[in-house]
Amino acid sequence: MNCKATNRISLRPTQVDLRAEAGTPLRDLLFEQGVEFPCGGQGRCRGCRVRVLEGAAEVNPAQRERLSPDEIANGWRLACQCVVTSDLVIELRQWDAAILVDDTPFAFLPREGLGVAVDLGTTTLVAQLLDLRAGRVLAVRTALNAQARQGADVMSRVQFATAPGGQRQLEVLIRSQIGKLIVQLLSAANRSGSEVRDVVLVGNTVMHHLFCGFTVEPLAQFPFESERTGLAVFQAGELGWDFSADSRVRFLPCLGGFVGSDVLAGILATKLGDGEGLTGLIDLGTNGEIVIGTRAKMLCASTAAGPAFEGARISMGMRASTGAISEVTQDQGGVKCHVLGNASPSGLCGSGLVDAVAVGLERGVIDPSGRLANGRNPWVLCPPVSLTQNDVRELQLAKAAIAAGVRVLLERWGATSLTRLYLAGAFGNYINRASAHRIGLLSFPPDSVEAAGNTALLGAKLALFSLDGEDGAYGDLRRRVEHVALNADPSFQDVFVEELAFPTVAA
Amino acid sequence: MSIFEDLQQAIIDGKAPLAKELTERGLKEGIKAAEFFPKAIVPAMDEVGRRMRECEFFIPEVLIAARAARGATDLLRPLLVGDQSIRPAGTVVCGTVKGDLHDIGKNIVAMMLESAGFRILDLGVDVSPEKIVQTVQEQNANIVAMSMLLTTTMVNMKGVVQALTAAGLRDKVKVLVGGAPVTEAWAKSIGADGYGKDAPAAVELARRLVA
Repeated sequence: MNCKATNRISLRPTQVDLRAEAGTPLRDLLFEQGVEFPCGGQGRCRGCRVRVLEGAAEVNPAQRERLSPDEIANGWRLACQCVVTSDLVIELRQWDAAILVDDTPFAFLPREGLGVAVDLGTTTLVAQLLDLRAGRVLAVRTALNAQARQGADVMSRVQFATAPGGQRQLEVLIRSQIGKLIVQLLSAANRSGSEVRDVVLVGNTVMHHLFCGFTVEPLAQFPFESERTGLAVFQAGELGWDFSADSRVRFLPCLGGFVGSDVLAGILATKLGDGEGLTGLIDLGTNGEIVIGTRAKMLCASTAAGPAFEGARISMGMRASTGAISEVTQDQGGVKCHVLGNASPSGLCGSGLVDAVAVGLERGVIDPSGRLANGRNPWVLCPPVSLTQNDVRELQLAKAAIAAGVRVLLERWGATSLTRLYLAGAFGNYINRASAHRIGLLSFPPDSVEAAGNTALLGAKLALFSLDGEDGAYGDLRRRVEHVALNADPSFQDVFVEELAFPTVAA
Repeated sequence: MSIFEDLQQAIIDGKAPLAKELTERGLKEGIKAAEFFPKAIVPAMDEVGRRMRECEFFIPEVLIAARAARGATDLLRPLLVGDQSIRPAGTVVCGTVKGDLHDIGKNIVAMMLESAGFRILDLGVDVSPEKIVQTVQEQNANIVAMSMLLTTTMVNMKGVVQALTAAGLRDKVKVLVGGAPVTEAWAKSIGADGYGKDAPAAVELARRLVA
């Protein structure tokens, strides 16, 4: 007989009931439910906070340092610091969000067999199974990156990897997760693993190194440059994948610094390297990636924007899901909020945050320095959702990182504007371009800005079809791309400080 | 309004040319250089620190105010040399740790400490433990203040404390740490003397540690 006490853990608003033995870390339970741990569960951020509605969870010193006495009294806890000691009813601060899956039509050269394209993101994975002859997508699977419990952003992942045994642990996690994902794709499409000819993966440099088993040591410290950035080729069997021992697996090469093959794929997908006019591509993620260039030459860089665009570190921030305010507009002297999922508002997602600040600037509720006109009181957008002074500051940090990165690249190029700018990724799809312009995040005319979807996945698919013609090393393309290390550029921090302010008037 | 009040306001508003002009005028009127610190510069930067804490001031406003204060202190410092009644509140060696180039926070702390009357030896970014030990020895510093932004470079701070201990300097200097990933508990665990959660806290701590 099992004498260990099991406890019932009920989650709100997902209405999921779990069973756990006393002493089980809450983190282990919640990670499987899609809750993210931005600092890797070390109690250094507030990203995983949950509210205990019923039952008890102990407060340790790490929580006292990160939560206010009021929050603790109201039941807020850092999930990463709690263990199960009783039955619990917990409200999750994070919700599952739709991951952008690319379904853009593309040109292809027919081949025999099946192919798999994988966008290996720091946070999410997207994999597609393709019929290489018909160019048709047979199945799609998305998942949270299983490494994410060891840190949400690339730096905390690198930190984990540099501890003894860490790198190997992350490598095993990701290889086995992707292997399983491919098996699921095959079973969903009712196809056999022996048909899989090629697997193409794209991801940033840290994801590349962790998957390939290359040490991330050089990426932990200045100058953040690794030498092992080239194309990596494996046989599926070497990776422990048993659906087909001899499928060829290629992780496409990186571009430099933290800029990886997800951006290389973005260049392929947007044809940024084919045109004459100066074109840009920005992925507005926690690690913002930027490319500008023409057929002749391209410059790329990455800049740490932080998680504000994803609603993290915002007092009432949340992912783009039911209850999130996703749009804010001016309406006859008032403010109008659009709430996702036809629900009552419970928080603010990234696009809503950008809108809210743009409207606040227009209405004089926020001044160009970022100060709230009545800084001590939050600005109530749509009860109970409000915007605090600190929320505006978090957005200023994020937008300045991107805007400064773009400005430094343009200055290097000797240009002041772009003929076209593509926004990659989910946030790029949902952000209001006029609001992004108003807050100085993108200082280009809104009609020159275009959402390009999941360019990393589209590029990986294109690569699947062009591998016959070349080895996938993209030597010519890589020679035309120059990586600019913003962290080593003395002007970057000055430009960053300048970009913290908002534009005075709508241009 | 007195010239001290005007100068305080000019610093808070970040008006560097005005701050400089007021300082020059005050000196011409016979005010002693040493008087500017307790009567104008220190209270002005304390007010900037207060506004920063309350989120009223953000990084740009703090930097601009600190630059205005520096305009005044640059005029005053040379006049203090040889004045035996004036001693710096302490000598601070500062920089970002090895591997970390993020220095906005460090610059704010350095400028605030300077306006609070400390002598600052700013070693810049990506500073090795050896360089710190050497500077502490040569300049007889009594505080080492280091910051870091990346979680991956935090470990290098431990190396600084160890190097100071190995050089037999650990009893002579107080070690202050700060930066986004740093916590009080971590500061204790590496054997630092104090953690400042923001620039005003760092100044308070420095004042307390050398008192």
